[in-house]
Amino acid sequence: MQILYTGLSMGAIYGLVAMAYAVVFYVTRVINFATGELLMLSVMVTTGLVQAHLPVGVAVLVALASSTATGAVIYFLAVRPVLNFDRFSFAWLVSTLGVGILLESMAGLIWGTTALGFPSMLYGRSVRFLGGSITWQQIMTIIVAVVLAAGIELFRTRTFAGKLGMAVSSDPETASAMGVSTARYAVFVFALGGLLAGTAGVLVGPISFANPYLGETYGIYGFVALMIGGIENPAASMAGGLVLGVLVTLAGTYINTLASDWFPFVVVALALLITPNGIFMSGGALRKAFARKTVPRPRLPAEQAL
Amino acid sequence: MNEHTYTLEIRSLRAGYGRYDVVHDVSLHAFAGESVGLLGPNGAGKTTVLRSIMGLVRHRRGQIWIAGSDVSRLPAHRIAKGLAAMVPEGRRLFPNLSVEDNLRVGGLRHRGDPVRFHSLLGEVFDLFPAVELHRKRPATTLSGGEQQMVAIGRMMMNDPALMLLDEPSLGLAPLAVQSMSKALLSLKERGRSILLVEQRVDLALQVCDRIYVLSDGALVDEKLTSEVDDEGRSLIDAYLG
Amino acid sequence: MNSVIVTQQPAGNAGGRPDVAATARRTIWAPSLIAYVLCMFFLAHSSAYHQGLLLVAAAYAMLALSLDLVAGTTGLYSLGHAGLFAIGAYGTAVLAERDHWSVFAALPVVVVAGAISGLLIGALSLRVSGLYFAITTLIFTIIVTVLVSNMSITGGYEGLSSPTFPSFSRSITSVVGSSLTWAVAGCLLLTIVVVWSIRSSAMYPVLLAIRDSERFASSVGVRTSLTKILLFGLSAAIAGLAGWAFCFLGFITPSQFDATASINVLVMVIVGGLNTRLGPIVGAAFVGLFPVVVSINSLWQEVIYGSIFIIVIVFFPEGFVGVVSRGGRWLLSRWSQRTDANVQPVGTGAPVLTPARNYVPLLRPALAGPVGGNGAAPAIEAAKAARGEPLLRPDRAQLGGVDGVTPALSAQAISFSYGGGVRVLDDVDLVVRRSTVHGLIGPNGSGKTTLVDILSGALFPETGTITINGHRAERLPSWQRADLGLMRTFQTAAMVGELSARDNVTIGLFNRYRRIGLRSPAWPMIPSARHDSRTMAASAMEALGAVGVRPSWARTRIADVPHGVEQLTQLATACVGRPSILILDEPLAGLSSDEVDQVATILNALRGSGVTTLIIEHQTRFIFDVCDEVTVLAAGQLVKSGSAAEVRVDTRVREVYLGQ
Repeated sequence: MQILYTGLSMGAIYGLVAMAYAVVFYVTRVINFATGELLMLSVMVTTGLVQAHLPVGVAVLVALASSTATGAVIYFLAVRPVLNFDRFSFAWLVSTLGVGILLESMAGLIWGTTALGFPSMLYGRSVRFLGGSITWQQIMTIIVAVVLAAGIELFRTRTFAGKLGMAVSSDPETASAMGVSTARYAVFVFALGGLLAGTAGVLVGPISFANPYLGETYGIYGFVALMIGGIENPAASMAGGLVLGVLVTLAGTYINTLASDWFPFVVVALALLITPNGIFMSGGALRKAFARKTVPRPRLPAEQAL
Repeated sequence: MNEHTYTLEIRSLRAGYGRYDVVHDVSLHAFAGESVGLLGPNGAGKTTVLRSIMGLVRHRRGQIWIAGSDVSRLPAHRIAKGLAAMVPEGRRLFPNLSVEDNLRVGGLRHRGDPVRFHSLLGEVFDLFPAVELHRKRPATTLSGGEQQMVAIGRMMMNDPALMLLDEPSLGLAPLAVQSMSKALLSLKERGRSILLVEQRVDLALQVCDRIYVLSDGALVDEKLTSEVDDEGRSLIDAYLG
Repeated sequence: MNSVIVTQQPAGNAGGRPDVAATARRTIWAPSLIAYVLCMFFLAHSSAYHQGLLLVAAAYAMLALSLDLVAGTTGLYSLGHAGLFAIGAYGTAVLAERDHWSVFAALPVVVVAGAISGLLIGALSLRVSGLYFAITTLIFTIIVTVLVSNMSITGGYEGLSSPTFPSFSRSITSVVGSSLTWAVAGCLLLTIVVVWSIRSSAMYPVLLAIRDSERFASSVGVRTSLTKILLFGLSAAIAGLAGWAFCFLGFITPSQFDATASINVLVMVIVGGLNTRLGPIVGAAFVGLFPVVVSINSLWQEVIYGSIFIIVIVFFPEGFVGVVSRGGRWLLSRWSQRTDANVQPVGTGAPVLTPARNYVPLLRPALAGPVGGNGAAPAIEAAKAARGEPLLRPDRAQLGGVDGVTPALSAQAISFSYGGGVRVLDDVDLVVRRSTVHGLIGPNGSGKTTLVDILSGALFPETGTITINGHRAERLPSWQRADLGLMRTFQTAAMVGELSARDNVTIGLFNRYRRIGLRSPAWPMIPSARHDSRTMAASAMEALGAVGVRPSWARTRIADVPHGVEQLTQLATACVGRPSILILDEPLAGLSSDEVDQVATILNALRGSGVTTLIIEHQTRFIFDVCDEVTVLAAGQLVKSGSAAEVRVDTRVREVYLGQ
């Protein structure tokens, strides 16, 4: 039970990062490789502001705002120009990685590279629940993650704005011919991705020290969670995160501490080979992401789409 | 002829993809309330003309006015604010959305005006009772003919000054083509301005007041439908192959 | 009709203009090689600091070249190359330090180990593609990193010190410099030679075809899966070689081979220029040298590094080399515009496109006389003399049977549905007789293209049999049907946009020449291969001339030619391999009426020389004028099959398709 709790709460973090990837990819077909660094940013901002004697609540809010805004900036700085040149190019891989490096090193310049203590919040204590002990922090993480996943899923399928997002996702050109500003949707999802990654940062801060290199680790784990869950449905990527979290914890407990470094990846690799379309169906979209269009003549994209 | 009676006017349009042109020099117009057909073989550039009007292709030269506004440099989502709306080639309904949601996306610009929105929805359901019947179903589970009705309905929901239809008969069974042409006629009776791109001459002659024939990216013929006799018809057929 | 296509006048150059670029390429290699050796000579004498720096860049250049070989040409974006690199480096270090092997004995071992891992990873590409391939290979790298970080034999996180590289004797060293420099320089040279040879071989267009349109590649007889696996194996062997060279250049630690390193290699390739000769080398030099050349506070360095990524990609999405070559093409087009008024290059200047009718005059001679290549190189004359038969004639002489009677291609009781859904084809029979032109018509969605896909092996029928030239074929893959003499074109032209029309047509010759793939890593060094390159280019020009594509279009990238030229190029691609059966899927779409006449002439010529043609077309006038027999499909069922005259007056056909 203990393992399950730990696994689920770690998985919730991975899942939030995976969702941050997923919402961006869902609408724009771009993977924002700076997502992990957005998580790091919110951790560092919170820590820095609390060290500057601001109240924790204010610090958290500022941190979330900064990762959200940075998400939107990434779109304008590193993604839009690339897609304007060629919508099928995946040069965004390099430019978003560049943003990641930039954020990481800037954070190092501002806050230093040594690990700082994240401000402790209310949830240090633990309670016993169903035969295991779980900290309030873990409970909080799982609840926030599940609520966000459910909220995004409801937004996507139940509200008109969410349905417009589905329309943009499936056919940006036709959507723009219906009067949808696809660029506005792109900015929105990049910002939302920033917010999700930032939330994950605030939640993970208390159990990991604050340092500029957090982004890489969580970026990769979140990405693997995305692979497991798939992207057509952000809630599924949360499920992928939970599965990954449990796998990591199980491997760490039952095999040896090192196994948590490789066991989940082996499982994912095998799963990918057995079900090439992703474990929870994520399907053809990701495959196509790197498939080059031959001669994109008959159906050229809208010149301004995304 | 005063310019404001044109719903659509195109002057020396040149457009294409990548580094080559599909449409070389096309000038055409449609009067208010007129339905105009654009005929031509595959690859003649019909779809490119239509997409240029809708702002989906950035054209290289020429001007386009819709209902008196210069739309030459407007992006598609601005043109879709009441100037023009289209039925794209191959329908391209949003596959994840229900029939009703597809129609709602079409009526996006009336979101702030529920009365107008519902009257338009009523108009669509009036014209296509089958669409109302399936309103809750995912759009792509409908038959080809029904999907085409949804696509036309989606365009009607915009209530545009100019209606653009790209080969609505493509891939439809003869019966579905018939009911579709009836729907187009009824739109025409309601005084809508229509630009219809077609490969099927019979359908275009039935629905349109006037037709243009496009070949190799340039116009080669223009005729009032009423003037097309058997000889003219065979000439057009010759162009279409 | 048999004399058609035989060239009448052996006019000078295939292209009409001397191929300046090719001449330049031929003469430039010797000076380049000398320059390379001289540079290495100086490097071998320079300070250890500079040597270390540039040799690391050289090792990365090999790695980046090996990645570009699979990523740029076949679209396999591998993130496993750091893992393969690690196999080479750690393998050598362990064998040399622990087991006291000679480093030269370790070399073949690690290269083979890399190749074997590569073949296994390449096999993954058959299961997962696109981003999933990238992820699966990334996981391979992660696993390798975890292994080397945690095993005592590899020194764990501490890593291993580099094995000593045997140096020359003192007197030799004083003359030629450090042995290690020469060893690494030799490895880099070998890599460059292999990779560039492939890029200049007849295999290169085929690889691009696999990347851009696998169905096109397999329709001309390429075993696409096998090709991808073998190419990945070769790439992995080079990565192993790079690792071997790298391990002598300093301490090796797991962090040099982790997931980030793998992504960095891809970054090198993209920043330098994906799918270019120099791009990976430039990118590797940049990424490898940057931290050393810009030696400031490491964090500031990273800031600049990240910013350069963004700036390069935002302003030059095709990488460093892309910018340069774009500029070069622009200059070239300016230059040729001034020197040659006949050629209308695509680029700057007012008339971007020559409308189809403008090149009709050039077609005229071909239409007037027998269809002849209007300008074939002497090489083609030689090729023809050797084979003693005209081009565009089916190569397999011993087909047997009587023309116009014996079935060349037949299908019985074919049924098919996509994913078990609606029946697209329901119990369809089709018999195409030898040396006839057979039309396949029907309304949109009646299953014509599906039937053609089934005949050519792109799809497999649920039930029914297919016979091609007397061989049962319903279970054969596309490439084997191509070997039986069947070629096809596609409705939406599926060609390689970045290659010229001529290079695209050479893809159609794939199964006419032996062992193109195996010879490709040493292509320019093999006389027979060079000869084949020339005859392939000449045959391609001949075929393009025969279908009426003007020579200047033949040199233009397919992405820049008008639709009509693209369609005709596709036709030339299918014809150039001299198939006995040709399937054309709407070849007239987008053609002008003159070009349609041209295609009719070609089809008649093909029939005259014994080729069997099945053609899908909507232009009914064309169908009834040209075809001997016509089959009509509607809603997946056979409506009528018979002579053109019979079908034309059939009441049911008029009902479902022709109209009144």
